[in-house]
Amino acid sequence: MSDAAIRNEAFASKLALTYAEFFDGVSPLRQRVSIRVNGDALELKNVETHAEHRWPLSTIRTLSDQASTEAMTFAPDDVNPARLIVREVGAMRAILNTDAPLRPLTGRRGGFVRLGVMATLAAACFGGLLFGLIPWFAETAAARIPQEAEVLLGQQQYGLTYGRQRQCSSPDGDAALRTMAARLTENADLHVPLTLRVVDLPHVNATALPGGQVTIWSGLLTAAERPEEVAAVLAHEIGHVAHRDPTRAQIRVMGSYGMIGLLFADTFGTATAAMVGQALDASYTRSAEADADAYSHQLLIEAGVSPDALGSLFARMEQQYGPSPDGLASLLSTHPAHADRIAASRDAAARADIGAGTPILSDVEWAALRGICTAAPAADGEGKG
Amino acid sequence: MSVIRTDFEGDRGALFLLALKTGALTLLTAGIYRFWAKTRLRRWYWSAVRPGGAPMEYTGTPLEKLSGFLFAIIVLAILLAATNFSAIMTSVNLLDEMPAVFTTIVAIIPLLTAPFFFYARYRARRYILARTHWRGIRFGMEPGAIGYAIRACFLMALTVLTGGLLWPLMTFRLERFLTDRTWYGNARFTQHGGFARLYGPLLPFLVTFWGGIALIGYFLAQIVTMENGVPQLPEYVSSRTETWPLWTGILSILLSVLCAFYYKVAAIGILASGKTLGDGIEFDLYPRTRRILKIYFFGFHKTWIASGLVQSAVAGLIFGALWLGGGFSQEAIQAMILNPPVNVAIVSSVLTFLLLRLVFGVFWHTFITYPLIAHLAETAEIHNPELLNGIRQRDADRRMDAGGFAEALDTGAAF
Repeated sequence: MSDAAIRNEAFASKLALTYAEFFDGVSPLRQRVSIRVNGDALELKNVETHAEHRWPLSTIRTLSDQASTEAMTFAPDDVNPARLIVREVGAMRAILNTDAPLRPLTGRRGGFVRLGVMATLAAACFGGLLFGLIPWFAETAAARIPQEAEVLLGQQQYGLTYGRQRQCSSPDGDAALRTMAARLTENADLHVPLTLRVVDLPHVNATALPGGQVTIWSGLLTAAERPEEVAAVLAHEIGHVAHRDPTRAQIRVMGSYGMIGLLFADTFGTATAAMVGQALDASYTRSAEADADAYSHQLLIEAGVSPDALGSLFARMEQQYGPSPDGLASLLSTHPAHADRIAASRDAAARADIGAGTPILSDVEWAALRGICTAAPAADGEGKG
Repeated sequence: MSVIRTDFEGDRGALFLLALKTGALTLLTAGIYRFWAKTRLRRWYWSAVRPGGAPMEYTGTPLEKLSGFLFAIIVLAILLAATNFSAIMTSVNLLDEMPAVFTTIVAIIPLLTAPFFFYARYRARRYILARTHWRGIRFGMEPGAIGYAIRACFLMALTVLTGGLLWPLMTFRLERFLTDRTWYGNARFTQHGGFARLYGPLLPFLVTFWGGIALIGYFLAQIVTMENGVPQLPEYVSSRTETWPLWTGILSILLSVLCAFYYKVAAIGILASGKTLGDGIEFDLYPRTRRILKIYFFGFHKTWIASGLVQSAVAGLIFGALWLGGGFSQEAIQAMILNPPVNVAIVSSVLTFLLLRLVFGVFWHTFITYPLIAHLAETAEIHNPELLNGIRQRDADRRMDAGGFAEALDTGAAF
């Protein structure tokens, strides 16, 4: 090539030209364009029609997450559908060597405003439903549910919860339990009669289900040092019955069925949903527990039993098993911290000032109750454990 | 007559890394990143599919998906609460039958969600089409989700009630409903043909399914006796009873599942050949059932192997860390492996669960979605592409739930 040819400027600029594939965003026609950087813009010129497009370098976007590295696709800005597909190395270099920022294409702006509105609405909606409407509905429905329906609901729940456990029963033990309950409920105004059961389970626990179904776990009878401690727990469960807490909780569970799952449908599935559900449940019940405690103090005092029986039971359990969960774990706990409950029961005892009180069961009755699971089992015992 | 073919260009390793990175971020952000993950993976797949050498483009954004998802869960939460409340009220008022009624209602709820499922699918498809470009021109879809949901429920019921006899009617009508509302630029797609052509590929299913039912029925007819008009199963089956109808019947019904799969794949090709775009652009698609079954089989196989490796890796990591960093003796670690303490068991099972989800997603993309799309793309043909040049751009379709209903209901869309 002679020097004269290279000095020819028109020819030199032609040599510097590179080519790419262009779609103008109006028609799907494939256009071949020459590309040239001119000042602060990229000039695209159709090789047949000579139609020109100028893309300001500052707004040019690249497409990210592309599968093929053999071609690069560029857009003039975030909204224009026109595209430039560059395959030649020279053309790619021509664009990359400019000081164009080449930000990735993100689409139309303003998504954050809509997202903010939606997030607020969603929080309001879920908050309103889970902490407002559903608890309110549960409250109303629990107060109006016919007694028969409540008992049926409780029986169904009992079957689900304890259907596979051995139920303990002995004539003297049953009688002792009835005596204890009668002393406690003498002045209580319950909307359903109590159904008391003892099941053979080793943990220190008792539960109340809808329709006055109160179940004592045999572990409580073993752990209690005196009958008043059992009476304190029983009074607490009677408190739940009087406040219709189990019915309310059950209706709340039915009302929020599937709702947490919506939030975690795809990614975390049931595990996370169950955990959030548990935290939610716990937040509902902790205040109900405190109310049931207060109610039980009243029942115990009226029955002539000092409310600090609950405190002495819990204090012993803390010594044995360590303090109840604290901090983050307490969010998942359905009951208030043991320390608070112990203090509340001692306060109530101090205010009532009934000293040791009258024994709720005679020694013989207490022995019969403690032995209810070891005595000759009733006919329906399944002989487990 | 000219034809353009479709290339599939993309490195499987790059997809593996992208799926791994976005999957890990999804786990680390408690699921929030999934809208970004979905967007990025779609961008990747779209750009790998190149009809006539020009890549498809996905322009959806993560933010609009998150907004759409929030919108969808607001609507669904309100509907769900209303359904739950009415279920409770019904059950509470019907005293004696209450538990039964409640369980019945809970059992019916999935059926009640069926229309939403179809509604969500239509909306998701509309969103995806509105965010798909090719050669700088947008695809689009007309509104019609409610009409689609009603038709889909009705046709589904017909199909089930006729034991599959009217399945082609459902396949064809629903496909026509979708196709006739789909646009590329200002050109509309049209579904031609009728459902009769689909009976050919359905025949193996009908024969194996109904044949199996007939065989099992024949077997039952031998042994069942009538007592007071109520059929009774005998206490034992006589050794002289012919049992071959029972096991051939069961085999036949199992085989009918494969035949149903064959039908679905074949229907894709038949329906594709009945579509036109604009003034006469035509299509063909030749998916092969054997190839697709192979993809699923080997894809699952690899996924299972990887899952097994993940489980042992997690156990190894945890016990290794306890041994090296926890100051436990080798004997103590051995005892722990045999009988892990609660804390260790919880940590390792949560870790295993999360990692399994991650590995499953990554392998699914790499070894199932990737080859499936590659196979479909490579068998696609577009006839009379010169007619494309008469097509013009359409307006952008912005206001949408961005597939949020499908996301919230987890309709199991492929992407």
